[in-house]
Amino acid sequence: MAKLKLAAYWSASCGGCDVAILDLHERILELANIADIVFWPIAVDFKYHHVEAMPDKFIDVCLFNGAVRSSEQEHIAKLLRAKSKLMIAYGACACFGGIPSLANFYNRAQIMERAYIEAPTNDNPNHILPQTLTTVAEGQLELPELYDTVKTLSQVVEADFFVPGCPPVRGTNDQIVDVLASGELPPKGAVIASAKALCEECTRKKEEKKITRIYRPFEIIPDPEKCLLEQGLICMGPATRGGCGSKCIKVNMPCRGCYGPPPGVIDQGAKMLSALASIYDVKDDDGIERLKAEAVDAAGTFYRFSLADSLLNRKRM
Amino acid sequence: MKRISIDPFTRLEGHGRIDIFLNDAGEVANVYLRIPELRGFEKFCEGRPVEELPRIVTRICGV
Repeated sequence: MAKLKLAAYWSASCGGCDVAILDLHERILELANIADIVFWPIAVDFKYHHVEAMPDKFIDVCLFNGAVRSSEQEHIAKLLRAKSKLMIAYGACACFGGIPSLANFYNRAQIMERAYIEAPTNDNPNHILPQTLTTVAEGQLELPELYDTVKTLSQVVEADFFVPGCPPVRGTNDQIVDVLASGELPPKGAVIASAKALCEECTRKKEEKKITRIYRPFEIIPDPEKCLLEQGLICMGPATRGGCGSKCIKVNMPCRGCYGPPPGVIDQGAKMLSALASIYDVKDDDGIERLKAEAVDAAGTFYRFSLADSLLNRKRM
Repeated sequence: MKRISIDPFTRLEGHGRIDIFLNDAGEVANVYLRIPELRGFEKFCEGRPVEELPRIVTRICGV
């Protein structure tokens, strides 16, 4: 079999997904046996013009991480889509918007104002904001347009597969190498992770799910053996796809949903709200008010990694 | 004025581009560094519970 041509790109992301690829440890050698890297900004020195010069479908597999929140990122997503046979949305940001899509609770003007004017570390007395075009003595300088709304990869181009996680864990990356090495591709649109909800993989003891109040993580020290949700902590397990190895839960931290919604669920936050409503002991209107008060920042918690991909998509403003 | 663009710069964490302007003698007249990236942690951390921030701001840089 000829070696695969592999590309990886980071869009609006933190670089953690790029490092996650290296978390293959010794299997990175296996990856090197089956694939040559043709573009990967964090690791090798190829420029955008190298990608532009490639014939269409030259790249066999592109692992695209990060959300799409600027005109440049959308341009690169479209460029890599045209040049790639397989486009994989890699990581929570590319799949669901991830942490960067928490920006969809605000708009561009508010973000610019805070980042460049209000933040106490700024020294910007003339309130200068980044412009898409700036004229300097030597010519014109361009910057990409920052979008009002953060998008997922598949809201911009078609993605062939989805690899969730913030970042995707070793086991998930092993699955990708296995798929690429075997050449037996899953059906288009497949999510490379578990086919179960995280709760089904969690080994904590589960008894009756009925809670009378919600606790914030600093208010109690949870029993390490028992279901976190049953102890009153908001754990996104019922609304999250498994496959992560329960990393957070194993260190007594409730899940925040980075593997995205489980199979069959379109909206992760709505699923979590539904799960919580069915176990919280609400007898009257007072109970509803109590639930609302105790579930601090419900939207930012239930949609921690999936706001761009959700039915809400963004705050209306 | 001749312009040499390095886009993107590679093998480091983050997004960036450098434009080098050369004068008629071929000497460097000016250099501009551009960061074409903003996610807005400064703003969207507002409104989040404080105990959640360790798991949010770790996504500023994952390298």
